[in-house]
Amino acid sequence: MTCVEFWNRLPEGSLEASLGSGHLAECAACATRWDRQQSLAAGLRLVSAGMRGEVAPPRVEAGLLAAFRSQEGFKRHRASSYSWWPPVLTWAAAAAATAVLAVVLLHGSHPVPASIAPVSAPHRIAAPAVESADVVDEDSYGPDSDFIPVPNAARIEPNEDVNLVRVEVPRSAMMALGIVVTAENASDTVLADVVLGSDGMARAVRLVSNSDGSPLEEE
Amino acid sequence: MIKREMAHDSTETDDELLFRLRRGDEAAFVALYRRRQGAIYRFAMHMSGSATAAEDITQEVFLALLRQECGYDPERGTLSGYLFGIARKLVLRNLERGRADVALESQADDAALPELAVIDDPLIDLTRREGIEALRRAVMALPRRYREVVLLCDLEELDYADAAVVLGCPIGTVRSRMHRARALLFEKLNQDRNPRLVAGPWKPMRVAI
Repeated sequence: MTCVEFWNRLPEGSLEASLGSGHLAECAACATRWDRQQSLAAGLRLVSAGMRGEVAPPRVEAGLLAAFRSQEGFKRHRASSYSWWPPVLTWAAAAAATAVLAVVLLHGSHPVPASIAPVSAPHRIAAPAVESADVVDEDSYGPDSDFIPVPNAARIEPNEDVNLVRVEVPRSAMMALGIVVTAENASDTVLADVVLGSDGMARAVRLVSNSDGSPLEEE
Repeated sequence: MIKREMAHDSTETDDELLFRLRRGDEAAFVALYRRRQGAIYRFAMHMSGSATAAEDITQEVFLALLRQECGYDPERGTLSGYLFGIARKLVLRNLERGRADVALESQADDAALPELAVIDDPLIDLTRREGIEALRRAVMALPRRYREVVLLCDLEELDYADAAVVLGCPIGTVRSRMHRARALLFEKLNQDRNPRLVAGPWKPMRVAI
């Protein structure tokens, strides 16, 4: 066996006695190289063992669980709906939605978007849907208020038309604002006031309470 | 109340857990996540150089599993390899955006490097703590294409076939990159140990004659 054959026949750098130990006994250069490879492999195993403690923080699991639960809920809801809704009701609902949209546009009011921009990192989780878009007092929004600007969102221009809506959002979506999120409560919802810019995107958020009205606990 | 997690045998394969996950079994999702998240997170962190990016990437990787059309095909490779493949794509996208704090790339990526001349063998130190730390630093200082094969095959113990699927290249390429990566590691360890003996990369220079 030549040196090239020896190294080419090694399966993934491991040495089996039957494969080429004879060559190592004959070739000092390959034996030295082999010993060095083995030392390096042993060192890498120690490096690997030392890295085992590096894992994703618990908030990642919490966020994923929230996404999983919301998806499952959506699936169940959709499946049960389709099982008894006849197609004619679907068409009727579509027609009604179109009519409402037309009325809103004709009267020139500011439509409330169907969803808001998520806050920072949790945007990868299911986008929080607006459960109840109750318009709240717009005067309460200002520089001295307790609104928190949404990271990376555009600034609100001085004369920009904004909408203020109260929404119910998954607790996990509020993680970036300092709300405590655990695996147990990740799928809970919280009430928040959201300032929407003229483009319909969220600019600032104010946390109100848990959806059951109890005060929020922050980190 | 017995938690649903208890109902899952830890010896279940990834594919079995994925099958249960597809049927809405949350405990299967948790079990699969806990089994694989560490390796994905570490790979992402050591490739991107950023814990924040690694967190985002880990989340994205497992979110992909929740999609019905996630694209995983057991015929093409293992679920672990599939997850690493997504993580790698996200890492590359992240690096392209330049958001990560990466100082690990080197212009020596494809440069021809001289054969190793071992003056004072650094490998004898590899069982000591400082030696292991030096090796870890050397791995993180490898150019990306070599670092990823070392991370996958040596540190996360993927076999070459799976690594080839992850990297989207032939298995022979994985093998040659591993060979090259190890040569670079030897060299880096030598540099650390014998700093005055190290010549820098060849550079053109103007000389007066």
